[in-house]
Amino acid sequence: MNYDFSWFHVERAFPTLLEGLWVTLELTLWANIIGLVLGFIVAIGMMSKIKVITWPLTLYIEFFRCTPALIQLVWFFFCVPILFNVWWSAQFMGLLALGLNLAAFNSEAYRAAIQAIPESHTDASTALGLNGLQRIFFVILPQALLLAMPVLITNGIGIFQQSALVALISVEDLMYQGRYLSSQTFRPIETLTLVALMYFAVSFPVSLTVTYLERRTKRLLAT
Amino acid sequence: MAFVEINNLIKRYGSLTIFDGFDLTMSSTDRLVLIGPSGCGKSTLLRCMMGLEDIAGGTISLGGDPYITGAERGKMTLDKTVQKEVGMVFQHYTLFPHLSVLGNLCLAPMRSRGMGKSDAQDKAMELLKRFGLGDRAKFYPSQLSGGQKQRVAIARALMLDPKLMLFDEVTSALDPELVKEVEQTMMELAEAGMPMMIVTHDMHFARNIATQVVFQERGKVIEAAAPNDLFGNPKQDRTRDFLKNVLNIEG
Ligand SMILES: Nc1ncnc2c1ncn2[C@@H]1O[C@H](COP(=O)(O)OP(=O)(O)OP(=O)(O)O)[C@@H](O)[C@H]1O
Ligand SMILES: [Mg+2]
Repeated sequence: MNYDFSWFHVERAFPTLLEGLWVTLELTLWANIIGLVLGFIVAIGMMSKIKVITWPLTLYIEFFRCTPALIQLVWFFFCVPILFNVWWSAQFMGLLALGLNLAAFNSEAYRAAIQAIPESHTDASTALGLNGLQRIFFVILPQALLLAMPVLITNGIGIFQQSALVALISVEDLMYQGRYLSSQTFRPIETLTLVALMYFAVSFPVSLTVTYLERRTKRLLAT
Repeated sequence: MAFVEINNLIKRYGSLTIFDGFDLTMSSTDRLVLIGPSGCGKSTLLRCMMGLEDIAGGTISLGGDPYITGAERGKMTLDKTVQKEVGMVFQHYTLFPHLSVLGNLCLAPMRSRGMGKSDAQDKAMELLKRFGLGDRAKFYPSQLSGGQKQRVAIARALMLDPKLMLFDEVTSALDPELVKEVEQTMMELAEAGMPMMIVTHDMHFARNIATQVVFQERGKVIEAAAPNDLFGNPKQDRTRDFLKNVLNIEG
């Protein structure tokens, strides 16, 4: 191999890639907010005995779990505007697809966590005069969050990586900027390596945190 | 009118009938201990009184107030204000593991009674000190022994100033050496004049704490009497058989 690595191009690409990273992080943050909140609501809904509630939710979860994220994203971008006559920005459509995808996966994590909470806590809550909503907020949700935390974070960081797909619908994220610069400067090695390192630099510490949190919650929730 | 009055209680689990016209009364100076063979409906009775079970018929009153009225097909009515005057401690640990001891005690008064945080904490500390748990306030349930957990659970129920306390085999899950501290806490509460209904398999404890002992079998009261009479001189053959059995097992 006779490639002449150019630090100059690394340096020149850096600010633009940083801008892209910012867009990626913003997308990830909002997708995670949707995923954490909506995922919990869906999980609570799935515990209902009323089929009219659980049936559409099951369909929603399975749709997002059983199709590639790429088609979900493209479908939202191309089909939703035509079907529903809404014309939102590509970034918003991307966010919607990622957020709904994450919520579907998170709802399963929450559901497993909720099932691990002893049923006796429901009786204890009633005996303490807490109503259904108070029980969900102060007894179920915090425990579900703790128990599901490792999976929720893993899913969340998964979405950070998956979000690279939005480059395909021209959202100017890290991936988009990387591809743009590398083709413009004919410097794929410098640019794309830097892009990969940026993704890694964000993901890796989070991945370490998961291991740590897992050990800590296990100790706290031991009975 | 009696302090607690259960009239014609009907309780079913599907096609299984647990109570078919059950009556029981208790005065506000009583500590009533329920004994009876496994599966006779002792836990079910306490759960009905706590409002945790749907009852198909009958009424349950506290202080002359019928707060639960049974009806077929889940149409039972429940007065939540009176329900909140009843406290219950369960056999299995039900402390919330994500909250400290103090957090466990303060949750209900703050959320369901609107009590201020500092008031709730003062009250909690007072109760914990009373039970010798003052130094455990910041601990999490996973850092407590079983006996401590149950005593915290009792303190947690007392935070709401119940007029009646229900105890369902609160020492059954404990190692033998931890039973005493929980029983002592209950004795202390008894001495302070708290009306209670207690389910226990420990006949010595029953004899010590009870003012009334009720022997129950297949959803019926077979015999109810003062502890010395019921244990010393049971009137019914079935009571005698039951006592002979459990006392033999206990050795
Ligand atoms: N949720 C339930 N669904 C169906 N049957 C139940 C349920 N809970 C209790 N039972 C049945 O009701 C009967 C009474 O149960 P309960 O728990 O009240 O007995 P118990 O007197 O407390 O027994 P133990 O001394 O073993 O605790 C038993 O036959 C039990 O199998
Ligand atoms: Mg029982």
